[in-house]
Amino acid sequence: MMIGLGFRREMLDWDMSAVQADFFEVAPENWIYRDLAPLHALIESGRPVHLHGVALNLGGTAALDQSFLRDLRKLINALGRPLYSDHLAASGDSHQLYDLFAVPFTAPQARRVADRICAVQDALGMRIAIENTTWYTNIGTMPEADFLGMVLERADCQLLLDLNNLSVNHKNHGGLSPSEFVQRLGMGRVSYMHVAGHEFDPRFDLFMDTHSQPVEAHTQQLATRLAERHGTPVLLEWDNDVPGIDVINEELSCLRTSMTT
Amino acid sequence: MSANFYDYVRGISDQVPLGYSPNGMRAYRHLVYVGASQMVEAHFPELREQLGEDAWRELIAAFVRDSRWSSAYYGDMKDAFLEFIAIESTRED
Repeated sequence: MMIGLGFRREMLDWDMSAVQADFFEVAPENWIYRDLAPLHALIESGRPVHLHGVALNLGGTAALDQSFLRDLRKLINALGRPLYSDHLAASGDSHQLYDLFAVPFTAPQARRVADRICAVQDALGMRIAIENTTWYTNIGTMPEADFLGMVLERADCQLLLDLNNLSVNHKNHGGLSPSEFVQRLGMGRVSYMHVAGHEFDPRFDLFMDTHSQPVEAHTQQLATRLAERHGTPVLLEWDNDVPGIDVINEELSCLRTSMTT
Repeated sequence: MSANFYDYVRGISDQVPLGYSPNGMRAYRHLVYVGASQMVEAHFPELREQLGEDAWRELIAAFVRDSRWSSAYYGDMKDAFLEFIAIESTRED
C-alpha cells in the first residue's frame, strides 16, 4: 500500500529519509526553473515524485500556454515520466489569477474542458489526471459527479480523487456525501487520492480548503477503506502552517492504521 | 463564467453575477487578494510596514483590479507588481 506526501519548500531542510512516505508530489511550476537535485535525491531513495500542477487553466478560456507545456514536458522527462495532474478548474479568464475557479456544471462546459484536456494530452504525449476541486459557488444544473464523469469519459483521462475537496463541498453545498460521490463515479479512472485538512471561515460562512490542518476522521477512514479495497495510493497534502516532521509522520501513519490492523 | 464573475473577483464590480452566491464570490475575491498580498509581501517585506495596513490593502486591491497577469508562474507576479508601481507612480506625477 502506497502512502505519499506533498513535498513543500519547508521540507527542503528536512532529513527526508526520516519521512515515512512511499512517494511524493510537487507543483511543477515551482521546479521548472529550479535545481532538481532535491527531487532526484528522493527518486534515488526509491520513492517516485509525481507532478501536481496549478497553472494549466484547464477550465479557462485563454489559449493553452504552449511555452509552459514545452517546459512541462522537459520537466516530466527529466523526472522519469511520473504521473502529472492539474485541476478541473479555471485559473482566470483570459489572464491568470493564480486561483482555482469552478467551471459551470453544464454539458457544453464539460465537452469544452474535455477537449482542452485532450489538447494537453496530445502536447505532452501522455495521459494526465485531473483533480476534482473545492468550489465556493458555481452555476449549472448537472450534479458535480455527473459533470466530472462526463469530462473524464470524453477526455479519456485519469482522476486524482481529492477526498478532502469532496468533504468541503458536501459541507458547503450538501448533495452527495464523499462516499456516495465515489460510489456514483467509480474508482476505475483514479490514479491516486488526496487527503488534507480544512477550516471553517465565519467571514464567508463556508468551509475553506486550507490544507493547514490534520485530516478529519471521516476523510481518513474513507481513504483507508478505498485504499484497501482498490489498492489505490493516498497522498497527504499539508501546504500552509506546515508542522514538524513528527506530526507529518503521525498523519501518514494514521492513513496506514486500518491497513496494518 | 461571465466577465461579471471576474469583475467581481478582481474588485472591479460589487455586483454578484447571476446565479452565484454572495458568500462564495466574496471567498473567491478574498483568495485572489491573499494570493497577491502574500506574493508581494514575500518580495518586498518592508513595504507593508512602511505603508501601514490601510494603504497596503488599498495598494494590493488596486494591483488586483488592474491585473493582466499572464505567466503560468505565480512568482512572476513580482515583475507585474513592479510594472504596476511604475505606471502608478507616473500617474501620480
